[in-house]
Amino acid sequence: MSVAQDTRSPVVSARPTGGPEGREGAATGGVRLSGVRKSFGSLDIIHGIDLTIPEGAFTVFVGPSGCGKSTLLRMIAGLEEVTDGIIAIKDRDVTDLDPSDRGIAMVFQSYALYPHMSVRDNLAFGLKMASTPKEEIERRVAAASAILKTDHLLDRRPGQLSGGQRQRVAIGRAIVRKPDVFLFDEPLSNLDAELRVSMRIEIARLHRELGNTMIYVTHDQTEAMTLADVIVVLREGRIEQVGSPREIYENPSNSFVAGFIGSPRMNLLKARQEGRNLGLADATLVAPFAAAARASGTEVTFGIRPEHLSVGHEKIEGRSLEVVVDFSEYLGGTQYLYCQLSDGQAITVEYRSPVPVKPGDRIILSWAPDWIRLFDPAGMRLRADEA
Amino acid sequence: MTVVATLSRQPGRPRSRSSAWRGLLYIAPAMALVILFFVVPVIVTAWMSLHAWPLMGAQRWIGISNYVRMIHDARFLSALRFTGLYTVVATIAIFAVAFPLALFVEKQRRFVGAYRTVIFLPVVVGLATASLLWVWLANVDSGFIGPLLKELGLVERSPNLLASFDAAFLTIIVMVVWKIAGFTMIILLTGLQAIPSDIVEAARIDGAKRWQRFRYLTLPLMRRTIALALIISVTGSILAFDQFYIMTAGGPQNRMISVVYYIFNQSFVSFNLGYGASLSIVLLAILVAISIVQLWLLKVGDDKA
Repeated sequence: MSVAQDTRSPVVSARPTGGPEGREGAATGGVRLSGVRKSFGSLDIIHGIDLTIPEGAFTVFVGPSGCGKSTLLRMIAGLEEVTDGIIAIKDRDVTDLDPSDRGIAMVFQSYALYPHMSVRDNLAFGLKMASTPKEEIERRVAAASAILKTDHLLDRRPGQLSGGQRQRVAIGRAIVRKPDVFLFDEPLSNLDAELRVSMRIEIARLHRELGNTMIYVTHDQTEAMTLADVIVVLREGRIEQVGSPREIYENPSNSFVAGFIGSPRMNLLKARQEGRNLGLADATLVAPFAAAARASGTEVTFGIRPEHLSVGHEKIEGRSLEVVVDFSEYLGGTQYLYCQLSDGQAITVEYRSPVPVKPGDRIILSWAPDWIRLFDPAGMRLRADEA
Repeated sequence: MTVVATLSRQPGRPRSRSSAWRGLLYIAPAMALVILFFVVPVIVTAWMSLHAWPLMGAQRWIGISNYVRMIHDARFLSALRFTGLYTVVATIAIFAVAFPLALFVEKQRRFVGAYRTVIFLPVVVGLATASLLWVWLANVDSGFIGPLLKELGLVERSPNLLASFDAAFLTIIVMVVWKIAGFTMIILLTGLQAIPSDIVEAARIDGAKRWQRFRYLTLPLMRRTIALALIISVTGSILAFDQFYIMTAGGPQNRMISVVYYIFNQSFVSFNLGYGASLSIVLLAILVAISIVQLWLLKVGDDKA
């Protein structure tokens, strides 16, 4: 365990390419899930998850609601029983341990502060339960509230605090316990947009300062992208992809991940294989890589992100599409054009030029072939080497 | 037109006066009921309490003599003492049974709905009916409890449960607990269910064991609910009458006469309506005082959750 710790710098400052490294790493001090399942009666919620989270990594579980990300987190916390499989923290099997014996601390979406206790007592409660000496409690409470700048709130009740302050206290309560792993269950969802951004930065700073393993559940992909060393995309109790934010964004392994990460979402258009080319609406496009092995007429999903489309007026043979602008959203720095292909499929374009574009205009969209992502009818990514 | 417009734009007295009238109109039905069935009777009772008021014949103004008489009335004082004893014992017994039951039926488990219903069932029985039922259960010969004890060989002769003070008192306490605990349980249950589950989970992560969670979270967070259940239980016990009247008729050696029972005796057996009225006023004052104390307890450390 200590060896594993020593091989890493104690404070993870740079973003490790945590994903692939983590999946292969045998002796990590982080969190390891093997074959973890959860069912409620006959209903399976989590279908066998294998995941290794390297020590010190900021890992974000992201997915649409009902994907099991919170359940998975609660299983790591020990609040939900594990139907099958093993959970290990710092190479110690904790599958059947009490939550308080796992070396974890959790921050809840609702803050879950004890309403009848002062902030000080809230922070001290865990230590008090563990019969920590008084001076030690005071020292650690003071240290935690210094980190989170909540000193002036110590004698107040949670009811007298704002949402942001409450969440700080909740995080403070986690820090005081000096856990190996921090668990965050959508901690920012109850805050307004502005506070969410500042608390997000705060949490990132906290991770840099403490260097602990942190597991963070969110459905907000901005939080996922900005905070994570490793993103775990979940859907219906299964892992869809694990990787760094850049990997996930640039190399989604299936159309679900492609569509889920990124805002506005990636354009996923129905196309057909036509010999070496692709047929999309009434246009014939050059496939980005040799796809000779695929039979003509096979359906393919043609994916391209809105920011990788450029707007022009001249057609480039095989690398452009003519579309009609439906309506546009002006966001100041940029503008989103919602357009229609000749066969009615919708396509979104990010447009930065000051030249005005009106609804009803016909424009030509073109792209660099590198940005095209192709998926098979089942949604799996088609890659150059496979084709 | 313009005049009306100017007037209505002014945020002045006409509007607020009319909305005050409308407010009065809304509370009028409730006020009428309260006045008719509470305020007027209290005033009449207070008026009667200042008279020697026999059922027949002329009433006579005697000032506060009834209240002076009360201070030296040994039977009244013993009724007060007995009511106090009964209130304390019954309330403790009800809570001692209702709290564990509430904890038991709070958890989602199989048949929990059936448990809740069964435990709550006696509450819907009338107190007089329940008293009659228990008179039969406690009967020496044709009852249930005594003969059962005899059948089991625990006693030689079937005991007369209502013949000695201790046994009768115990029987009545058991009957009241059986009858009331379900209601208290439901009140406590709502308090338990109002505690957010993530607070309990946070405490589990903080390492609080079951007992510690009960001591440091459940009890403090249920303070208001407990206070409510307490007020209902205490008030009900102080006003107890049916069970003593029906089950023991004042009990062995007249030792089970509660205050309300004594008021009843004075008013409708001895026909001292004036004295009975003055006793009622004192009882009302006692109840108000106790309720004020309990409401004050209810507000202690009032915190916003």
